[in-house]
Amino acid sequence: MIPFDGPAVLLLILLGGAVAVDGTSFGQFMISRPLVAASLAGLVVGRPMQGALIGVVLEAFQLTILPVGAAKYPEGGPAAVAAGAVYAASDPASSTALICVLIALGLEVVGGESVRYLRQGNVYIISARGTDPLTPRQLERRHLAAIGLDYLRGTVLVTIGIIAISVGVSTLVPLWGLGERVPHILITAMVAGLLASTFRILGSHTWMTALGAAAGLAFLLLTA
Amino acid sequence: MKPLPRRVYNRMLLRSLSVQGSWNYETLIGTGFVYTLLPALRTIYGTREGRLEAAVARHIELFNSHPYLATVAVGAVSRLEAEGVEPAVVQRFKTALRGALGAMGDRLVWSAWRPMSILLALLLILMGTAWWVAVVTFLAVYNAMHLTIRALGLRLGTQAGLEVGRKLRDIPLQPIIERSSQLACFLVGASVMLAAVPLARDPIALVPTAVAIGAGFALGARARTALIGSLVIVTVLALFIGLTGYGTE
Repeated sequence: MIPFDGPAVLLLILLGGAVAVDGTSFGQFMISRPLVAASLAGLVVGRPMQGALIGVVLEAFQLTILPVGAAKYPEGGPAAVAAGAVYAASDPASSTALICVLIALGLEVVGGESVRYLRQGNVYIISARGTDPLTPRQLERRHLAAIGLDYLRGTVLVTIGIIAISVGVSTLVPLWGLGERVPHILITAMVAGLLASTFRILGSHTWMTALGAAAGLAFLLLTA
Repeated sequence: MKPLPRRVYNRMLLRSLSVQGSWNYETLIGTGFVYTLLPALRTIYGTREGRLEAAVARHIELFNSHPYLATVAVGAVSRLEAEGVEPAVVQRFKTALRGALGAMGDRLVWSAWRPMSILLALLLILMGTAWWVAVVTFLAVYNAMHLTIRALGLRLGTQAGLEVGRKLRDIPLQPIIERSSQLACFLVGASVMLAAVPLARDPIALVPTAVAIGAGFALGARARTALIGSLVIVTVLALFIGLTGYGTE
């Protein structure tokens, strides 16, 4: 049911931990972005471009999510690792992609909730309730322990994601009753719509958007 | 005041990568702030009895900031600690700084530079570029700004100390945000076109594509929920048809 072997699963789990940590705890170099995470997952499985395609869709869903303050938000990285890997190892059908994306979106919400629990747990890890104040060494150890816990959280999320998406693909894709044209149209239209939805958060620069559209059209005509 | 050794500065910069490592609902990034500041505190207070521990205890408090701009506060506070500034003054300074650093980072990074970098990568993929070109371009463009902010922020903070607020106001932030946003909108237009036009050959695709794009422009961030809803509805419908054979006879 899981469409890749043991070493690949292990690598993906390790990647998932790294991606989870990069999201907030350490680095924030943005390997946790769905486009990067899914591409790397696809690379582990041997088909990075196929992973990247799922990454494009999931990235489009994340475009308007801003991690400001203590706001809750869906976590894209580990879900993208799982979805990118399963899709890359599967038949590249649009129905498969749609099922992978749908389950990944659900996993993102789970990921976001797990971040909330982690942050609540960090209160107990890092505080010295009822005891003497933390020494510098204790603070350093506890701070690093919190990062380690985040890594563990990411590995668990990716494990759950790989299982859930693999089961979803193997049971739901054979039941898909609308052909491949519909999911292809739906996914592509959604990506276009989600790209357009960033217009407002970017300041609604109408003329620049129109200029970009003209450039895009020119590119298509020149390369047709 | 003797400047901190280069190796201490480098350690703080490296540690700043984990300033959110112990993010919690009590101190937010307060403990990560202390973790990042510790190399400086060790150098300043050394093994003088209790002084280091007292400094650590003083700084384990509520603090928040954009993670990349936390180095501004870390640098400034390290200077104030080295100068022996009154703890109450340092605390007031941190409180005054955190709102500004949060707002600056949100506007510059999360709302402008990051979406611009991602849109560039998405456009490259839609243009047919190899996946690794798009990924490497995104990571290079994004992290050029990211790491510059961290490094310059630490330098600014250690040099300016209490004057850092005034120095931050002198940074031409708005033009950078404006240019990034304009470029990002250009990329939005181009990528929407590249995503949508190939579908135009399919007459069935015209209406849903136009509706999705219209919803995106009109609803902004709220379009996400609507599009997920449509995804769920179509999936349920497809599975219903597949399970029952309805409509396929």
